[in-house]
Amino acid sequence: MKDKQTDTNLRLIALQLESWKKLHDLITYGLDKAKPIISVEQERQFTEVRANLLQEAEHVLRELNLLADLSGRAMNVLNRGSSLRAVREFSNDDARRLETEWNSVFTKLGVAQGQLKSRRKAFAEVTPFKEFMSRLSRRPAVA
Amino acid sequence: MILNPDPVFEDRLLSIFDFDDETETRIVRTMAEVVGILIGESFDGFIIEGEPEFVIEAATVARQHFPSLKIWCAPWGKPSAEATHKAQQQNIPLTNGAGSTRRLRKEIDRFLGGLDGHPAVSAEGVDPCHSLIGNLNQFSAAEVLQMTCMGQRSGRFTFTSGRGNSEIYLHQGEVRHAAYGTLEGEGALAEIFRWRQGRFYFEEGIISQEQSVDRPLAHLLLDNLQKFDETLEVATVAPNQ
Repeated sequence: MKDKQTDTNLRLIALQLESWKKLHDLITYGLDKAKPIISVEQERQFTEVRANLLQEAEHVLRELNLLADLSGRAMNVLNRGSSLRAVREFSNDDARRLETEWNSVFTKLGVAQGQLKSRRKAFAEVTPFKEFMSRLSRRPAVA
Repeated sequence: MILNPDPVFEDRLLSIFDFDDETETRIVRTMAEVVGILIGESFDGFIIEGEPEFVIEAATVARQHFPSLKIWCAPWGKPSAEATHKAQQQNIPLTNGAGSTRRLRKEIDRFLGGLDGHPAVSAEGVDPCHSLIGNLNQFSAAEVLQMTCMGQRSGRFTFTSGRGNSEIYLHQGEVRHAAYGTLEGEGALAEIFRWRQGRFYFEEGIISQEQSVDRPLAHLLLDNLQKFDETLEVATVAPNQ
């Protein structure tokens, strides 16, 4: 059997993780002072990824029941990293704080993705007959 | 591959794919990502969703850079007459993406049914009559052809990759015929020149009766390498690469 909500949530979480990974790639580039100058194109990419996350994070986290846990941290990362150039000028402490908060969001989303995959697997093993029998056995006895 | 600029909030078509176990999908948001991915990987089909103008623009770029790719468009609204005309000119199939879900599902099934999956692993083996064998990630098709043509060779090159098999026939150091799927001639050559994964082998002395290419190799190389550069320009290069 398949559960529509689980599949939809898995798609949402995969998209969200993809955006957080892209943001991390760009932040890592920005933080590395040895890397060449930040181009307009890279800055545009950064703004694009940030805009997607700003728009979608709250909706996706609510769908996944993670809003209370992650909304604050996610917003902190997105607020502090206003541009790639700003990220390059971060102090060591600021950079560490940003990395820690990014990591909290990424870890929690990764764990949630695993849980959803496990749930999908469990659903796949349930046949319609088993589901019917299980419902039947749960049905309250009628006097 | 599905191009959708707003996959979280505009996901009617994507939710149809959620229930399809047999189709492996990859969702991307921008055309630059699409081109970057298509250069390295092979996909059976390409579905584009979005505002009508965006969809037709993306389909036109995809058609131009990847002529053999099967494209299907589902714009979120009714395209303008001009956009519809442009799509017809480029032979791009348009569906009403705002229509009923049942109808959309039917259209998707029809599109997916028309795709022919290529085997992921090439079927060729090493044969003693292959006078030259190699990997495309070490030598591109353009380099290999240049070397062989300089030696004034005649024979058949077979290129095999996840995208399928293709053939280029040489006659005394000039390209005489090229075929890849339904494409022939310069269209097929343009596709093969983009391949960066796969294997090739050359069989000396196999001549094609057909002639679909009549320009010198130098011209073909120049044109196609320029086209490939343009394709790379469309793809956004990741900052850490």
